Amino acid sequence: MKEEHVPQREASEIPVSDSAVEVNNLTFSYRADPENKAIENINISIPRGQFVVIMGPSGAGKSTLANSLNGLIPGFLKGKYKGEVLINGKAVKGREVSEMAREIGLVFQDFEAQLFSTNVNLEIAFGPENFGIEREEIVRRIKKVIKTVKLDGFENRQPATLSGGQKQRLAIGSVLATYPDIICMDEPTTDLDPIGKIGIFNIARELHASSQFTLLIVEHETEEALHADRLIIMKDGQVLKDGKPNELLRDVSFTDEIGIMSLHIPSYFSKLLHMEQKELPLTPEDGVAVFHEKKLSFDENKYAEILRKEDVRETSYGDTVLTVDKLIHVYPNGNKAVNDISFQVREREFMAVLGHNGSGKTTLVKHFNALLAPTEGDIIIYGKNTREYSIFEIGKEIGYVFQNPDHQIFADTVFDEVAFSPKIRGVDKEEIKERVHEALKAVDLVGYEEEDPFSLSKGERQRVAVASILSARPKIIVLDEPTTGLDYKEQKKMMELIKQLNESGHTIIMITHTMWVVSEYAHRVAVIRDGEVMMDGRTRDVFAEEEQLQKSFLRTPHIVSLSNQVGKTVLSLDEMINCTGGAH
Amino acid sequence: MDMFLYVDIDSGLHRLDSRTKLILMFLSFTVAVMFFNILILGCLLILVTSYGASGRILGNLKRIKVVIFMITLFSLAIWSIARPSDSKVFIFSLEGLFYGIMIALKTNTMIISGMIFLSTTKIEEIAEGLVKLKVPYRGAFAFATAIRLVPMIVATSYTIIQAQKSRGLDLDSGNILQKTRKYLPLMIPTFISVIRSTNIFSMALESKGFGYSKNRTNYLNHILDSRDYFMLLLGVLILAAAIVIKTYPGLYDNFVLQFSWSEFSAGYPNWSI
Repeated sequence: MKEEHVPQREASEIPVSDSAVEVNNLTFSYRADPENKAIENINISIPRGQFVVIMGPSGAGKSTLANSLNGLIPGFLKGKYKGEVLINGKAVKGREVSEMAREIGLVFQDFEAQLFSTNVNLEIAFGPENFGIEREEIVRRIKKVIKTVKLDGFENRQPATLSGGQKQRLAIGSVLATYPDIICMDEPTTDLDPIGKIGIFNIARELHASSQFTLLIVEHETEEALHADRLIIMKDGQVLKDGKPNELLRDVSFTDEIGIMSLHIPSYFSKLLHMEQKELPLTPEDGVAVFHEKKLSFDENKYAEILRKEDVRETSYGDTVLTVDKLIHVYPNGNKAVNDISFQVREREFMAVLGHNGSGKTTLVKHFNALLAPTEGDIIIYGKNTREYSIFEIGKEIGYVFQNPDHQIFADTVFDEVAFSPKIRGVDKEEIKERVHEALKAVDLVGYEEEDPFSLSKGERQRVAVASILSARPKIIVLDEPTTGLDYKEQKKMMELIKQLNESGHTIIMITHTMWVVSEYAHRVAVIRDGEVMMDGRTRDVFAEEEQLQKSFLRTPHIVSLSNQVGKTVLSLDEMINCTGGAH
Repeated sequence: MDMFLYVDIDSGLHRLDSRTKLILMFLSFTVAVMFFNILILGCLLILVTSYGASGRILGNLKRIKVVIFMITLFSLAIWSIARPSDSKVFIFSLEGLFYGIMIALKTNTMIISGMIFLSTTKIEEIAEGLVKLKVPYRGAFAFATAIRLVPMIVATSYTIIQAQKSRGLDLDSGNILQKTRKYLPLMIPTFISVIRSTNIFSMALESKGFGYSKNRTNYLNHILDSRDYFMLLLGVLILAAAIVIKTYPGLYDNFVLQFSWSEFSAGYPNWSI
């Protein structure tokens, strides 16, 4: 049955060449930066039907490699090109991208920008239309593709009205409709919530199961790479490792070193027991078995100490600084995005707000600095009701860092950018200088004052955005997905920064999809679903309830799952190492 | 927020071929340009609005209510001052005011007519119609994409305005000059975001085989049916009537004599009430 749903070519049309992708000695530097080789001497051969995951830190050259597979490099993105890429035996260089599109489909991270049609059917039809496929055949293909990407019932919906996960599935579908036998996805899940991610990986696995498809996915999520046939790890434009995911990912010291997130389970056992690499378990389930086998146990005293510290932290919080009282928000189109939410936040709390795209969490937090006004109910910030004060007034107490730093930055230099907020608040020159310095110091960008913010990396731009909020000296800081689009090292750096801000007295409220970030950093978690608070409590208590979380399509990090299965809830690798031991 | 102008419902007007709707739109433009008469333009506006009402999309007009209102306000204000007149009260003249009404009617009728077209026709249908009218596909697609880009820019700038407001930028106070000065720097992040996404957009286009073959097929397959021919005939008859009114000896002169206050064509200089 499944076979029928998978859109693909007739057997006779499958190319005869053995390998689907052949990259020989490929070196490329972009025209804008000719000195710097984006990729250098890449050699990869991918046989038909393989499922390959490509990983690596920012700047590794992953996207450059992906874009050179269908000819966007060097056809669309120009530069210095050496070596060759063969797709199904056809040399990419010298061919039009549109010609290569028959062989290989490319899906991009930004699902907003790659969808352009008025409804789902038309989006899927676009590719086949370009190739002059007969109308009757297009109709058949649309039906098939809709099934594959699970958009049944959405045929006539406008793409703009779909959720993030659905949009990305549509983007995949629109590429599948041209019946390529190779699909390459460039970070398809980065902007998605956990449920959206699962949807994409399920489709990938189903396509792979049909055995004809060759699948390449550039991905950040280490845990998902385990399902691939092959893992390629890149750094600084070169292939560092190429092999079986379970072997490569057991090498924790290597993944630690190059800055991709190491799997928790092998890290734990390797650090605690110094086990042989090939014996290391990879998943929480295998970990539980080894935990018992090695007769490990929790040190009750150490665990109690962790809990006691949390109690102490809680008693040290200050007064209530934010009150959400029976908040309801209804958009002009009648959509009730927030439905009767009430809670309070105390000074110096670090709260994470979780929930899928469209759950209402962004609508909720936009009320905190008066960007949105309540339909019913009240928001009170430091005693000020947001109904009675302007954004400008409320903004003295609370700063809001938007998800995309590029929506915020507009000055020519980092200094001006950070100085903007105090300047329009009428702060005098000397103090502005002092505040900018203080803010840049907090985000570790001292010395960048005269740089052009747009020339910085995404991680640095994100930090400039935070600094430009800090310079207004708000007591509460709201962050909307501060780690999206950053690699593991950058994410870690960003979170350490936020942690420091919290410890120096700021109250933090953060929206995020990244579960390990929540578990390691947040004191408190609120889970929002369909405009209502489903769970709200200490991170440890919420993460103990894995089943409840799964109902909101959230999965705990591996180390948390392992600990839950062996009786306690720890929130990080360090905690787990610290409070387990025993006869081994 | 829904940024597309297209209203996704099923109505007789939606089902009309995009060529029909395009031609009817241009016919309404032609009539609007032909006349400088408040009464006739008023009739045209009523005609166009009831045409839109048949597609149940007049609600969509509230999205451009500011534009319509501003045009009306400005043409009334400017023309009642700027139009030369012998009977000025202070700097205003009644003649100018009526002239302003005429200009506002003319402009708004065309805007509303265009809005009706965009509210009832999918972008792909516009492209399909243009192709069938022998416009090259690339051109038709570029036109359709330009329409698509507008809501994208609006959405981006909306987010950017929110981001800056929450940094303390006060965009609501001050006079027009001060406001403009505050809004101007916001163009930078807007353009950068738009350029970035159009770049990905064109990469995605090419990756789906755009421009692969000259013999592009079309999933949409509209054919002109009896309703289209009926509407086209109706449109042509209205245009014919307009031409007759304008050119039949004496007919228009008599009409203008009756309602001279409403007329501003070059040949009828003697304005009086």
